[in-house]
Amino acid sequence: MRTAAGTVLPFPCSSSCANRRALRKNLLGALRVSGSPVIVDLSGCSNLNHEDIDLLLECVAQVAGRDTKVLFVAGPRVNRVLLDVTRIASVAPVFDSVKEARAYPQMATKNDAEDRVLTKSRSSQSQRLWSA
Amino acid sequence: MELGTVVVVPAKEDLFAMPGDQSHVAALAQSARPLYSSRMPILGNDVLQSWIERVRKLGVQSLWITSSHGDDSEACFALPGFARQGFDRLLMIKLKSYAEMDLADLVRFHCEKRNSVTEAHDARGQLGVCLLDHRELQAAAEKHQFPGSVISRGRNTYDHHPYQFRGYAKRILSASERQELVRDGLTGACALRPFGTEIREQVWIGEGVNLADSVRVIGPAYIGARTIVREGATIGPFASVERHCVVDCGTTVERSTVLPNTYLAPGLLIRHGLVDGRYLQDLGWGAVADLEPAGLGGRIHRRESHGQAFGESDGFSRAESGSAWNIVPWDIVPSPTAPQPWFQVQL
Repeated sequence: MRTAAGTVLPFPCSSSCANRRALRKNLLGALRVSGSPVIVDLSGCSNLNHEDIDLLLECVAQVAGRDTKVLFVAGPRVNRVLLDVTRIASVAPVFDSVKEARAYPQMATKNDAEDRVLTKSRSSQSQRLWSA
Repeated sequence: MELGTVVVVPAKEDLFAMPGDQSHVAALAQSARPLYSSRMPILGNDVLQSWIERVRKLGVQSLWITSSHGDDSEACFALPGFARQGFDRLLMIKLKSYAEMDLADLVRFHCEKRNSVTEAHDARGQLGVCLLDHRELQAAAEKHQFPGSVISRGRNTYDHHPYQFRGYAKRILSASERQELVRDGLTGACALRPFGTEIREQVWIGEGVNLADSVRVIGPAYIGARTIVREGATIGPFASVERHCVVDCGTTVERSTVLPNTYLAPGLLIRHGLVDGRYLQDLGWGAVADLEPAGLGGRIHRRESHGQAFGESDGFSRAESGSAWNIVPWDIVPSPTAPQPWFQVQL
């Protein structure tokens, strides 16, 4: 599901190996090609197992050092606890709902724009100082 | 005046079941949440022992210990026995709090107020300590109803003045208060001292602890006996890792408690939590997560004998008397249908 604020990918509780492989392919594929933030929605998964955790860590690793951002929607509090414990929450933003997550890139964009304006004004200020 | 004393361990587990026993693990699995047993050590100390020491200071020669499923029915079975034994008063301590209470002051208060039942309270409510007079004991025995249970359910039919305790007290069955007790013990804000050697300021370790070279221990912190902490792990500040745990490489335990026989996988961040085997209660989010399916932690299975459970645990080995507790099954259990055993402890 692609929105103006990014791609939302549901993360279901996968039962079979085939489903998991498909989920992995979708997630990593989306992260590879997407320039906009990717929101991984864990709301539909109440019991994260070790394969789920491995895949989430793989998602975080996939975007490391790139412009693409991955955001997580934790869903149940238990997921939030597991994201904290595995340190995923330390390296990727975690939200309670897709709505909150969608708001995040806009805020980030706004902040980035403000930063750009600030940097531009500082550089022009320093240029004035040099020229003086 | 002869004073009888009963300590009731409020839990669903067997009186002697300690973490690591299969029965305890089964109970945990069934309850699907941590079982914050009052027998689990706090900074290596057994709260039961702290109460036993307070009872000993009253000059009492022996006390009885049993466990309760919450409705005090087990205690009711024994009341006629206590009444027949001729005790003038019965002190009942439900092992649900750690309180630095002078029991002699409680007895004094009970006498001055001429209460038939006196229950100790602090600002947050009952502390699980109750003193009963002989006439109440007999009446309760006849009715098969424990006076303390009536009070604790809020149906107080007794004309009594509660004993207001203003000293240090924490409810050990609450994960957050338990963590507060750990913090206070580590910083010296209460009388509970960590059981181990203080290797540097506010850092205590127990016997046989195995710390890898690159481990960081940030005080205040406690690491219990025979715990293994592997490369790159960080313990503290305000952390307590109890005995026989394994903290794997790179894991951080901060402002948290790890209960005995717990394994923590590599690279975790445990912050504001209480870990009991496979279960983690996060105090911030107020949620309990099962670490085992995620491969993040679990229970280390080891058998502890009954002798270890009572006589050789960290807390009991520090008995001030210098001798092990002499525990014998109580031979005046009035009913063979009593669901839990009673044990007499010679002080």
